[in-house]
Amino acid sequence: MRSRMPLYMGITFFCAAAILSVAFMFLRLNRVKSQEEENAHIYDRYYAMICDDDASSFWQHVYKGAAEAAEAHNVYVELFGANLNVDFSTDELMEMAISSGVDGIMVLGSGSTEMSRLIDNAVEQGIPVVTMYSDNDESKRCSFVGVSAFNMGREYGRQIISAWEEKLRLNPDAEDTQGAPAKVTVFFDDNNLLYDQSVILSGINDTLSREAGEGEFAVKTVAVDNSNPFSVEESIRDILMDEEVSDILVCLSELDTTCTYQAVIDYNMVGSVYILGYYDSEKILNAISRNVVFSSLAVDTSELGRYCVNALEEYLDTGNTSQYFSADVTLIDRSNVAQYLENGGDGDE
Amino acid sequence: MSKRLKSLPLSYKVSGIFIMANLFIFLVDIMLLVGINSMSVEMEETYRENRHLNELLDAIEGVQRAMTEYLDSKSTDSLSDYYISEQKYSELASQLQTQISSKTDDRMERNISYMSEDYLKKVALTIEAKRGRNVEKYRIQYEEASRLYEYIRSYIRSLNAEQFISNSIRYNSLSEDFRRFEFFAFVVMVVVFFASAFIIIRITRMLIYPLQALAKSADEVADGNLDAELPKISNNDETGRLTAAFAKMMVSIREYIERVRESMEKERQMQEKELMMETHLKDAQLKYLRAQINPHFLFNTLNAGAQLAMMEGADRTYEYVQTVADFFRYNVKKQDELVSIENEVDLVDNYIRILNVRFSGDIHYDRQTDKRLMKLKMPGMILQPIVENAVNHGIREMGDKGHIQLKVFKDEDRVYISVKDNGKGMSREDIDKLLGGEWKYEEKKGDSNGIGMDNVIARLKLFSERDDVIDIVSEGEGKGTEVIINLPYETEE
Repeated sequence: MRSRMPLYMGITFFCAAAILSVAFMFLRLNRVKSQEEENAHIYDRYYAMICDDDASSFWQHVYKGAAEAAEAHNVYVELFGANLNVDFSTDELMEMAISSGVDGIMVLGSGSTEMSRLIDNAVEQGIPVVTMYSDNDESKRCSFVGVSAFNMGREYGRQIISAWEEKLRLNPDAEDTQGAPAKVTVFFDDNNLLYDQSVILSGINDTLSREAGEGEFAVKTVAVDNSNPFSVEESIRDILMDEEVSDILVCLSELDTTCTYQAVIDYNMVGSVYILGYYDSEKILNAISRNVVFSSLAVDTSELGRYCVNALEEYLDTGNTSQYFSADVTLIDRSNVAQYLENGGDGDE
Repeated sequence: MSKRLKSLPLSYKVSGIFIMANLFIFLVDIMLLVGINSMSVEMEETYRENRHLNELLDAIEGVQRAMTEYLDSKSTDSLSDYYISEQKYSELASQLQTQISSKTDDRMERNISYMSEDYLKKVALTIEAKRGRNVEKYRIQYEEASRLYEYIRSYIRSLNAEQFISNSIRYNSLSEDFRRFEFFAFVVMVVVFFASAFIIIRITRMLIYPLQALAKSADEVADGNLDAELPKISNNDETGRLTAAFAKMMVSIREYIERVRESMEKERQMQEKELMMETHLKDAQLKYLRAQINPHFLFNTLNAGAQLAMMEGADRTYEYVQTVADFFRYNVKKQDELVSIENEVDLVDNYIRILNVRFSGDIHYDRQTDKRLMKLKMPGMILQPIVENAVNHGIREMGDKGHIQLKVFKDEDRVYISVKDNGKGMSREDIDKLLGGEWKYEEKKGDSNGIGMDNVIARLKLFSERDDVIDIVSEGEGKGTEVIINLPYETEE
């Protein structure tokens, strides 16, 4: 009789292989399931962040800063309304957040009485509210986290002067540079005039009057139509098509800056029109490095978000917090743009 | 264990193999089925959340409709509708997540849950205000509730869309898994098929192997090789028993064949003896017949010669011719049967008488016989050739000094016939040769009736079945020779 060893080994091997592979299949399925469940993390608090455009890179970065700061406190911050497929106004989102019983709200203030009423309503229901970027100072909000608009204006003023100096240096014989005051246009938001835009203008004027000669600069403001998503671009092109194009354009929002520099390129005005931009998106940084945008001011967005969370945390923990936080503003021009580009732009320092 | 397994009947073993193989396949199938079942359950579960959200949406629409109707008509029907739909909605909403999870869906559920609570509160207030006919209050409450209603609807729809997307992704990955599982199941089935086929073949071969070995041995035996090697018995089942029985049968067959062979050998020997006796006799007859030409003519001739001698008065001539005629008649008559000793002795007398006439009385013949023994039987043509031999080789050259003595006597149960001469004798070697049958008869001698001593000795041996039936004694050269025949003494014969 031949040896039975190979036979037994064969049987054992096949049984083992079949059972093992089936077992492996089950394990794999179960692992996928449990992984899904493990990923869910439960937080202690839930803050709503409400702004006018949750898709913009500015608010995305503010949100990112806030979320990072919140994570450390086991708090979840949600860019409220971003998951909904209907676009709601900040007022409506505010109502929803209150109704949803969140633990805290950080909202882009609008200065309107309706917003103030909603903020008061929230506070009445025990939900602390922090206004950010712009304020509703008549409301019962616990704190305001913003940018010092006056400082920002002064910085823009200084940039206006250096931009004008550069233009004179590069075009000493240009006709329009002789004698006449330099024309400066500041783009203002049209329908939703932000509270601090006038403060920025005061800052600009203050600097110009202090550091430049009388009548050297003629500053005017132009309202940009912000009523629908595409009106900004049209509005800016209309302004540039005017016969009297300013020497220096000051943009106070990311969108304004982007639209302006694109229009300047399209109308072949690079070199004759100087753009002072706002924000540090990759597009804008590239424009600076290519000399289309003279310089840009950027708010430290993550700091802004962080301050909001910290203010709410402090208020909830202690019942009190500082009334005002100010996020830093940084200047980006040719001298340091490379460094920002290296970091990938978008406010990451 | 192994021993017990080995002694199981073959049918149990074969059934066992097939049951085991089927069980093996069955187990694998069950495992695959369980896998497929768990996957299909999971697939069914995929859109469960969507269904729940749709129910939720229906319910909240019911609440809103009932409230609006009640505000419009203040009917009891709409109020009861409101209670029913409110109950249903709060039940459904209570199943929603309320934790602050990192998962967007969970958070959205939480918000829906909170808003729903708020909404139901506001609806209740509205209804209450309507009952209290507080127009201003219920109008404001209604507006607030309606706004919340819109928010919640929007939330539910968004969540539904969101979940539909993620569920679809999950469904896709599940169905991909399912397809992979299908392939895997196919591979496993194929492997199992080949494995079980392999195992069945191997085990069957193992079981059939002793039968094959047995069949091989049986073929060899059938081809005539009775010494074919038999397979060893390793199993205690039918094949083992069959092998054992076959082995036993082989031993029996060998023994039987051996016995048959032995008896055949004996029979053959007997037949050979008979045949040889007949052959020798025939040989003697033939030789004798060859030496005579028409014996009847010879007898008649001799008789005629005898009558002539009587008519002429020559009595001795008449007697001689009569003796010669008798001698030859005996030879012709008494060939193929046993004869009495008396007949043989008479023949010797006649022979001596003839010789003495031929050689004019040279031979001295002396006879001493016991009359009681004369009727005993013995083969014919024995004594005359012996005497002839004694004359020819012993006393031929002695002239008238030759002497032959014939004695017939009994000693205990044996009868002895002795023929003794005083001739030149024989050497021991010649005697041994003659008794051993190595001495060949030579036909050249003219004075012989053609029957040699070897023929005589052989016939005697065959007749008596013993080697010592005849003995030759000689004390050396010139001292004569004695031939002694001994026969059993059987009376009435």
